[in-house]
Amino acid sequence: MITLTGSRTSRCIVLLSYLLAFTSAATAMDNARWSAGTAYTLPEGRWEKGLFQPLRYGQTERLEWATHPVLNLVVPNLRVKVAHREFRGWALATRHGFHYPTPLLRLVKRPGIGGLISPESDIPDIPHILAARSELLATRVISPSLWLTGKGGVSIALKTGEMDERTTIDLPVVFPRMALFLHGYQLNLGMDLLGKLRGRWAIWADVDLLMIPGAEESFSLEHKGMAIWSRSERFQVLIGYKLVYGAYPHYPRARTQWHLLPLLDLQWARQRKAKR
Amino acid sequence: MIFVIAALLAVAGWRCEPIVTTFDDIEEAEYYQAADIPTTLPITPDTLLVMTWNIKYGGGDIDFWWSCYDDRVLMTEEEVLSNLELVADYIYQADPDILMLQEVAVDSKQAAYVDQMQYLLDHTNLNYGVYASMWRVQNAPSDGLGRTDLGLAILSRWPLDSAERIGLPLRTDQDPLTTYFYLRRCILKARIPDLNDIHVVNVHTSAWQAETKVKHVNRFKEELDAINADGGLFVAGGDLNTLPPGSQIISDFRDNKCGAGDFEGGDYSGEEHWLDDLYADYDTAIPREEYQSADDQAPYFTYGDKPDSLGFTRKLDYLFTNHLDGWVLSSDSTHQDIATAGTTLSDHCPVSARIELP
Repeated sequence: MITLTGSRTSRCIVLLSYLLAFTSAATAMDNARWSAGTAYTLPEGRWEKGLFQPLRYGQTERLEWATHPVLNLVVPNLRVKVAHREFRGWALATRHGFHYPTPLLRLVKRPGIGGLISPESDIPDIPHILAARSELLATRVISPSLWLTGKGGVSIALKTGEMDERTTIDLPVVFPRMALFLHGYQLNLGMDLLGKLRGRWAIWADVDLLMIPGAEESFSLEHKGMAIWSRSERFQVLIGYKLVYGAYPHYPRARTQWHLLPLLDLQWARQRKAKR
Repeated sequence: MIFVIAALLAVAGWRCEPIVTTFDDIEEAEYYQAADIPTTLPITPDTLLVMTWNIKYGGGDIDFWWSCYDDRVLMTEEEVLSNLELVADYIYQADPDILMLQEVAVDSKQAAYVDQMQYLLDHTNLNYGVYASMWRVQNAPSDGLGRTDLGLAILSRWPLDSAERIGLPLRTDQDPLTTYFYLRRCILKARIPDLNDIHVVNVHTSAWQAETKVKHVNRFKEELDAINADGGLFVAGGDLNTLPPGSQIISDFRDNKCGAGDFEGGDYSGEEHWLDDLYADYDTAIPREEYQSADDQAPYFTYGDKPDSLGFTRKLDYLFTNHLDGWVLSSDSTHQDIATAGTTLSDHCPVSARIELP
């Protein structure tokens, strides 16, 4: 009784959007410097861009902004990181960002192939949603080759209407982020470890906990492990995995599930020449 | 640290599901039982009431998008539980000994993740069940279907064993990506040791693409022939998605609303003899002669796109046995009373008949 339909072109567009959105979420949205996930901002005039990661730019030594240019077409987004004074050996920064996911959600609320949200008229239109997150990051240099970062934050979502519970996309990485739109708030806690190995190699591991206290599908615990090969200050390759253990919608109560996802990214960087 | 990561990956490797579950040609089906099982088994009767029913995922009178009457895809939890309660009540009243179900959802967003197998076992007189999935994907990326696990079930008062899921050929008219994510139809077969080792065989053949559908019908017949050749006794049935030989109307059904290119399942031209061999070799609950000689075949119809307003328009659901003359005379019933003006329990109605145990 069920078929999968849709023109080849529209399938390709939607598929590309998913790939970008999904991989951007799955790889580091939290990457700073060549070394990711720290409280350090990019040096002034340096920009970095990954295949799937956002474009970041060091405005000053203490201010960095980031956005995903391609994703901006369907999820307008902007984030700034502000470095603060060190506190007892910990580098501190705050990060503030917003995104507006309504266009993407409306794009995937469609019939046929690529329809990740049911287009049925029984489900109300996706409301306008503005999601914002603020978090505190603290990095300590344990040794010259090992950096530890802790982070914690809060997200809120402002909506022009209620979201139907059936509009969630019950996939790892995606669902926990959509749960914010459903419930309107979310807390996050995390830790990153960056270790330099021999030669051009480094490893980067993190753990992030997304929580919605009081909600049935209340948590998602995400761990990422990546090997980084830096060819130079201007190019590096990241390869690894993301392991997710989270709660998803089910009946009569939420179900927990494991997922293991491959990660791959290429990153480029440039340094704007200083003004004379 | 390395040990912790290795342990996490090991756990994940063990617990992770594939995006799409593909199945072996033959594999063990999944066993269920009711939450409360009677301490003593029912006495083995002289006759058994056997029933088959496509319950449309507990969709009741909701018009899903494939019927082209509406665009519904995902049911709410309240809708599913309310419809299932009515389905369970009907089964409880009909009181079959063996029930073959098609379109049962056990873990599907479409049916609000309600495990319909467990619900029906817990709310009817049937105690044991086996389930075979015909579509298990973590996310069906079409029409917002999401996570999907739909399939066939056999429910019984007595314990079932040797339950097998037998894979049917996939459609051949789709691109490889669509085929990968698409339904993997099957036959579900089980045995009831307490009832002379009777075999129960349930099938739901393809509704689309004639080339695939005829392969499914033929594979079903082969399975029945194999049991018969081994000297086994079977009751078999299901939704064969094709008409009996001698049907008076084979196309242009009054309830067909889908246009060309949509869900074209309403033209059975060229399929007139696909069930000839099944009818020739085995006994049907509703005899061929009775159906063919009827001035009006409507009382035998089991399917309608909109039975609550346009009635049932064709017969797609069947019961067969190799116990020749085993069906109790006039015990057959086509339960069209599941649909009344404005409401229905499914787009298919149950077919039941009583069979003598040899």
